[in-house]
Amino acid sequence: MTAVGDPPRPAPGTQPALGQFVRARTTPAKLRLLLAGLVSLCLIWGAVAAWVVSQRASGAADVVSTSEPLALDGQQIYRALSDADATAASAFLSGGLEPIAARRRYQADIAQAASHLESATAAAGHSPAAWDLATLSAGLPVYTGEVETARADNLLGLPLGAAYLREASGLMRGKLLPAARDVSAQADARLTAASGQATGLPLALVLLVAAAIVGYVLYRAQRWLLWRTHRRLNPGLVVASVAAVVSLIWLVIALTVARADLLQAREHGSAPVAALARADIAALQARADESLTLIDASGDDSFQADYVVIQHRLGPGPGTLLTGAVTAARGSPGAGPAATAATAATAWYAAHRTVRSLDDNGRHTQAIQLVTTPGPGHSDTLFTRLDGSLTAAIAADQAVFRSNAAAGRDAFTGLEVGVIVLALIMAAGCARGLSKRLAEYR
Amino acid sequence: MRPRAWLRLPLPLLAAAAIAVWAVPGSAAVTAPAARQLAAPAAARQAVPPCNPAASSLRPAGPPQVTPGSYMARIRARGYLIAGVDQNTYHFGYLNPLDGKIEGFDIDMVRAVAAAIFGNPNKIVFRAISDAQRIPDVRSGAVDIVAHTMTINCARLQQVDFSSVYFDAGQRVLVPSNSRATSLADLGGRRVCATTGSTSIANIRAAPSHPVPVAEPFWTDCLVLLQQGDVAAISTDDSILAGLKAQDPWTKMVGPVFTSEPYGLAISQQHPDFVRFVNAVLQQLRTDGQWAASYARWVGTPVPAPPPARYKD
Repeated sequence: MTAVGDPPRPAPGTQPALGQFVRARTTPAKLRLLLAGLVSLCLIWGAVAAWVVSQRASGAADVVSTSEPLALDGQQIYRALSDADATAASAFLSGGLEPIAARRRYQADIAQAASHLESATAAAGHSPAAWDLATLSAGLPVYTGEVETARADNLLGLPLGAAYLREASGLMRGKLLPAARDVSAQADARLTAASGQATGLPLALVLLVAAAIVGYVLYRAQRWLLWRTHRRLNPGLVVASVAAVVSLIWLVIALTVARADLLQAREHGSAPVAALARADIAALQARADESLTLIDASGDDSFQADYVVIQHRLGPGPGTLLTGAVTAARGSPGAGPAATAATAATAWYAAHRTVRSLDDNGRHTQAIQLVTTPGPGHSDTLFTRLDGSLTAAIAADQAVFRSNAAAGRDAFTGLEVGVIVLALIMAAGCARGLSKRLAEYR
Repeated sequence: MRPRAWLRLPLPLLAAAAIAVWAVPGSAAVTAPAARQLAAPAAARQAVPPCNPAASSLRPAGPPQVTPGSYMARIRARGYLIAGVDQNTYHFGYLNPLDGKIEGFDIDMVRAVAAAIFGNPNKIVFRAISDAQRIPDVRSGAVDIVAHTMTINCARLQQVDFSSVYFDAGQRVLVPSNSRATSLADLGGRRVCATTGSTSIANIRAAPSHPVPVAEPFWTDCLVLLQQGDVAAISTDDSILAGLKAQDPWTKMVGPVFTSEPYGLAISQQHPDFVRFVNAVLQQLRTDGQWAASYARWVGTPVPAPPPARYKD
């Protein structure tokens, strides 16, 4: 390092390294070399900055337009299918003619699953989720076919209907729901990766290093010119420097704002949504177990055993899904409904115990009534409250995610083009400023 | 109904065949080695003393009476009889989807027992159980009585007591109406369905033509598989097959009856007083026309003479 402008002759160390390398000895030659170096540096800077911005922007765009919708589709497919399974099961439970409301709910579930399946297939492209989505697309008509056969047999008063329902439910639980769970998990992983790409620090570091190099070189070039030509300012280089500063400020602001928005979207949006969705999926599974235990009554209590396992996983309690969801939702609009869900779950378990003790003591009809009809203290009502609170919490946090992620993506608007244009201005400024100096030697 | 006395002789032979199948690796059901091990009947693993399943029960002491201190008195104090039944076997024990009630020929038998204890045939709690669950539930006391198309045989007599025979069935084969198979002999290497823990699945496994046994929890599950083309046939008691055929007119029963399956109500060996009581109830049903009425309602006409009550004592 040397002090600015005190020695009358340049010490060897103050000359640009490039100049030494090609052994340019005369000032015009050095100027020519500097011109070429600065112009290419500006262009390289423009390319690097544009690349970093495009990486970030595409990550943010993937979060908003692909990963999050895919994760949402995965959850909705699971929800709809699981609810269809539970509804078909409890429609059978009620005995006699199937209630029309249950029929409509089942049909709405299937329609919803099909529509989310379609949009998820479009969003998934060739990602690993595509395979699971293909399993779902192939299995859904088989499932609905078996349920319809079950209904037809049931309408004829044949016990064969119950066997078709068991078969359909086995397909749903053994194949379709796990595939839907995989879609959800893969979409969540993709969301995390995209959001990491849009907020990660390494890329920002690349940009800062590049900016530091450009700034330093511009500064040294101007100082050299000042020393060599004894002019106060070179307008071309000043323009280039201003453009560099503007692009840097724009980049820093945009990246910081986008990062803050996307982190906010994750922390109070997608992270609680994922935790809440996991809890909701477990709750739906336990609900189907409750109905199937009453239908099947085959002596082995596998559905009830599954219910108990899920109950322990769902909580509330330390390390359980519900407590995890409540923690994740803290500070987000979903926090209120999530806390309600945790208390509703405990009440539902108590109602379920009543159902089991009624059923175990031969009061099957009363047990079925608690499960299929609404009323104070009924399992049906309490589960609806649990499910409703979780759904409300998910919807609230999804809105947070949407607005923040969209704001994060919008922070990149025009930035890529802007950075390129500013880099061209920098290059032009350098070229003009130095060629003017060069002209003085002719 | 059918002259099947000669069929009782092959039972020990069947047991011997089962032992042979189990003992000689690869002799049968080569495609399902794990299932073979499961299905080797309890009879094959421990020597079962010879017996006469049709005359294996205890003689009643006159008309049914709830004597103080008896097991029937304990049931009466509880307020209801607990019966382990099938809810998937059409016309014997099934859940009628139209009214959500369990009904059938087996159910009539236990309702008569409840009526004899309480004077009310509805004081029953039905536990719907699978075939494989019948013996464990009787032995554990989870149910008082099992009425579940259950064949009396010597191996089972080691574990539970049975009432006198209340129905005579025999194993046949059910195939789709366009099938060319006429018996198990034509089904070598094909998949044939029966329920887990039934005598039928053991008989399929022991068949000389080596069909591939497919075990399902309930008979209706077998019909689902048959309708979907997953199995080529279902083989079990003609009584059960008739119920399946009634649910699917595109099936037919083929071949001869090749086993004898005398049905009894299973009761814990702890309660011989209850066995005698139930036999007294069955004796009343045979004589007062209720048995014939149930037969006509669930199985059809013409109604044969009820199986005669024969006892070991």
